[in-house]
Amino acid sequence: MIDSSWLTEFPDMSRRELLAIRQSLDSAYRTFSRDYGESIENFFDPLLYFLVWFENLLIETPWWLVLAAIVGLVYAATRSWKLCSGVLAAFLAIGYFGMWEDTMRTLSIITVCTILSICIGIPIGILMARSDRAKSIITPMLDIMQTMPAFVYLIPVVMLLGIGRIPGVIAVVIYAIPPVIRLTNLGIRLVNQETLEAATAYGATPTQRLFGVQIPLAMPTIMAGINQTIMMALAMVVVASMIGVKGLGQPVLKSITNQYFTLGLLNGLAIVALAIIFDRVSQSYAKRAQKHLEGTENG
Amino acid sequence: MDNTRETLIEIEGLYQIFGPDAKNVLPKVKAGASKEEILAETGHTIGLQDINLSVKRGEIFVIMGLSGSGKSTLIRHFNRLIDPTAGKIKVEGDDIMELPVKELTTFRRHKMAMVFQHFGLMPHRCVLDNVGYGLLIKGEKRAEWKPKAVNWLETVGLGGYEDQYPSQLSGGQQQRVGLARALCTDAEILLMDEAFSALDPLIRSEMQEQLIDLQENLQKTIIFITHDLDEALRLGDRIAVLKDGKLVQVGTPVDIVLKPEDDYVRAFAKDVNRARALTVQTIMTADTSKLEGISAKDVRDIFPADRGHAFVFNNNAYQGVLTKQQLDDMQDDDLLEKVLIKVPTVRRTNLLQDVIPLSLNTRFDLPVVNKQGELKGRVEASKLADVLSP
Amino acid sequence: MYKKSIIASLMALAATSSFAATSCGKVEIADMNWNSASLMANIDKFILTNGYGCDAELIPGDTMPTSTSMAEKGQPDIAPELWTNAVEALINRGVEDGTLSVAGKSLSDGGEEGFWVPKYMVDENPELATISGIKKYAKDFPSSEDPSVSAFYGCPAGWACQITGGNLFKAMNLEEAGFELIDPGSSAGLSGSLSRAYEREESWFGYYWAPTAILGKYDMVKVDFESGVDAEHYKGCISEESCMDPQVTMFPPSPVYTVTTANFKKSNPEAYQYTTQRSLTNDQMNMLLAWMEDNQADGQYAAENFMFTYPEIWSKWVNKDVKAKIDNALDSL
Ligand SMILES: Nc1ncnc2c1ncn2[C@@H]1O[C@H](COP(=O)(O)OP(=O)(O)OP(=O)(O)O)[C@@H](O)[C@H]1O
Ligand SMILES: [Mg+2]
Repeated sequence: MIDSSWLTEFPDMSRRELLAIRQSLDSAYRTFSRDYGESIENFFDPLLYFLVWFENLLIETPWWLVLAAIVGLVYAATRSWKLCSGVLAAFLAIGYFGMWEDTMRTLSIITVCTILSICIGIPIGILMARSDRAKSIITPMLDIMQTMPAFVYLIPVVMLLGIGRIPGVIAVVIYAIPPVIRLTNLGIRLVNQETLEAATAYGATPTQRLFGVQIPLAMPTIMAGINQTIMMALAMVVVASMIGVKGLGQPVLKSITNQYFTLGLLNGLAIVALAIIFDRVSQSYAKRAQKHLEGTENG
Repeated sequence: MDNTRETLIEIEGLYQIFGPDAKNVLPKVKAGASKEEILAETGHTIGLQDINLSVKRGEIFVIMGLSGSGKSTLIRHFNRLIDPTAGKIKVEGDDIMELPVKELTTFRRHKMAMVFQHFGLMPHRCVLDNVGYGLLIKGEKRAEWKPKAVNWLETVGLGGYEDQYPSQLSGGQQQRVGLARALCTDAEILLMDEAFSALDPLIRSEMQEQLIDLQENLQKTIIFITHDLDEALRLGDRIAVLKDGKLVQVGTPVDIVLKPEDDYVRAFAKDVNRARALTVQTIMTADTSKLEGISAKDVRDIFPADRGHAFVFNNNAYQGVLTKQQLDDMQDDDLLEKVLIKVPTVRRTNLLQDVIPLSLNTRFDLPVVNKQGELKGRVEASKLADVLSP
Repeated sequence: MYKKSIIASLMALAATSSFAATSCGKVEIADMNWNSASLMANIDKFILTNGYGCDAELIPGDTMPTSTSMAEKGQPDIAPELWTNAVEALINRGVEDGTLSVAGKSLSDGGEEGFWVPKYMVDENPELATISGIKKYAKDFPSSEDPSVSAFYGCPAGWACQITGGNLFKAMNLEEAGFELIDPGSSAGLSGSLSRAYEREESWFGYYWAPTAILGKYDMVKVDFESGVDAEHYKGCISEESCMDPQVTMFPPSPVYTVTTANFKKSNPEAYQYTTQRSLTNDQMNMLLAWMEDNQADGQYAAENFMFTYPEIWSKWVNKDVKAKIDNALDSL
């Protein structure tokens, strides 16, 4: 009799073969991490020093000085007293409820992640906008980064780099960078063709076109991307704390395992407060930087 | 127009086919397949086919055609905003297709300036920075070009708008900013893609006049695109008519109106009220010989031998017409002003309909002068009659 | 030969069906969401099905909900690996009320907690096997983020061991010795940091527990606190967050029991008898877990492998008849 079991059951590969593949890939990764982990770690050392330095700066500087600096920055970016007083109130509440240090830690890591995402994301976005080929390669990678459950890459990252800030930053950046890349690409592609042609016609070099026309005109879109990136980085804070990133995520994690509702809520609210502050400040900064759009709005 | 001027731009065998595989479609197009056939068979769009033309230094060369005929596509080849599928584009004898990137940039910076159909202004720069854009990217300091930019802004009637952003301006104002930007670069060649189409009729004719005035002083080479025959006739020294990416006729405005070469051009020309469409420019004889003086002896020796009458000027101001007959009858010391016939002057930009009554009132030619009152040529009644009678 | 086996299997079949009908019936086994418990549950399922003719079924479970459900509703029937410390009161009450029965220790050593260092470090410096040695050579455990301090990997945030580990950390004055208590965030973080260090033969010092695959796979040495076990103090102070004056004590072993419902005990005395016998040492369990991880096996696959590979272990749990039936079932697998 002909074996027709494939009709009823999926003709999958045998358990042994699958196991062999899984084991050989895993052990290949182990070997890789054993052989190159050290040098990869060394590569990230400067970033680590900066992270530690920045975090210590925020924590060791007297709180009122940090607060003044933050409010000052917010004012410089937004010129809005209303926003400043909101920020002040939020941070005072955070401090009063004893979350100052964790908040500073989270603030530091989010700031670094955002800066990194921007520094890496915008050039990649530009590359994508300039080459359809690059776009067709990068887009599926972004899809993977955004949808792959974080733990799938968290553990390999831990194997490679241990636990702590660097793997945390890497995990956060992997998760949070896609919006800034996507929207940089989109923003540049949406720049009015005739405006770009005009620049070319007057003899602008590709660099002049990029920095003089494409990026400034794509800026509102890019800013929206940065904004989303910050929000996603904040959302990732709790997950990152699962590989030993200190900050607001740890108390949240603790409260999840122990059902400490109030603790969870307070720290959750602190994350929300940070999110809102980042959001409002970056948006109103973006708006202020886009003076030329004002005319379009009322006419 | 005098034909002695040298050729500045020359286009030879230019083809533009839009699509991913243009090079392979080209032979079919050259073999004579129609636009529709090519589109159905290969999915490629023919933008331009077999364009040959030359533009002379100092002329206004108008490219005219209906929407979709390929005007914008053609003008974009002059500064290589798009590369042709085949063909040569020569400027001052050099094929710009051969230019390496760096030289192409230099060429664009110094040789050509362009006014765009949809303005193409930089929305994030203020009006002043837009006007100075061509100089700014050459690396000139803002302080250096600012007076010039302000000056051009004033010339196009937008003094005081320096710090506005384009979005705060009306369409017509934006187009004038685009014009000022082009003029500010001092480029010899101006490419103007439907520069006036977005303007209302009043401002439009005002701008046309302004362009003609400017051209009188600047003597630039202007490639002007329009879908409006009246505008073409008014501005053009020569007009090229484009249909479905093919050049159907190139000629002077009078040629286009009086001797259309095919039905397409004829259809254009048919509805033209010639008296209202043609300007003095199109029929005037360029001739700046004039008599300068106050008494008969001043002019006796310089009176043109082959002419029955001539225009008399004094201190560069037009005085009137003097006939050969009158001069012969006069003593050396007789003053000219006593006998001069007060024939009125006309301007290049005057429409024929305004000139007809003046011409009918006199048996002499009408003198054509510019804004400053300098003599530029004359209008002969016979030519006027030729043009007006179909 | 051929005939004989047919007869045997027929007999087995008859026996199975008669058992199923008369003495065993449906048995629900709690399948906890960690590997060792899942392995236990699958072993139980295999033996009860094939040796005792039960209609055994696995029910997903967790310590708290499963024990509550067993005490209150009599379901599921068996919790093969219950860490009773967390639910001590509940179990005691259940036993008193006659709803639960503690069948036996499923891990004979009990759950084992401690601070561990890799064996290769101890081989190099035997002093590291004791806490005083560790403190003396604190410099040998540099933190990867800040080499000027030494790293002690604690227990993930929110776990009970975060409190006990933290208190012991204080009691041993590890901070004065230069150690920083690092929160690994999750068990994955903790095991990740350990395996990363072990694979590269780097230093590692931290909290871990057995039975676990990690301790089966990696040769680790439990650090001697040189204090012995003070169960009283451990329970009264070390495991309390508010412990003011923690003293050094080794972790007392956590009891790990097989718990069944009283009902099951009553209606299936033979099967119940098996559950009282079934027990593994931590070394055995560590080894099984390591095998499981190496082969990325699930509980069922691991249980089958265990039954094939270690008859000398499981045959002690059952009588001859049952062993014969199980052997039979293994042959036909
Ligand atoms: N990038 C392109 N890809 C494909 N087809 C194009 C492209 N650009 C232009 N075309 C086609 O070329 C033809 C001419 O277009 P073009 O813009 O030159 O017309 P035009 O004469 O300037 O019209 P209008 O008066 O409306 O501006 C049209 O059929 C158009 O569809
Ligand atoms: Mg066009």
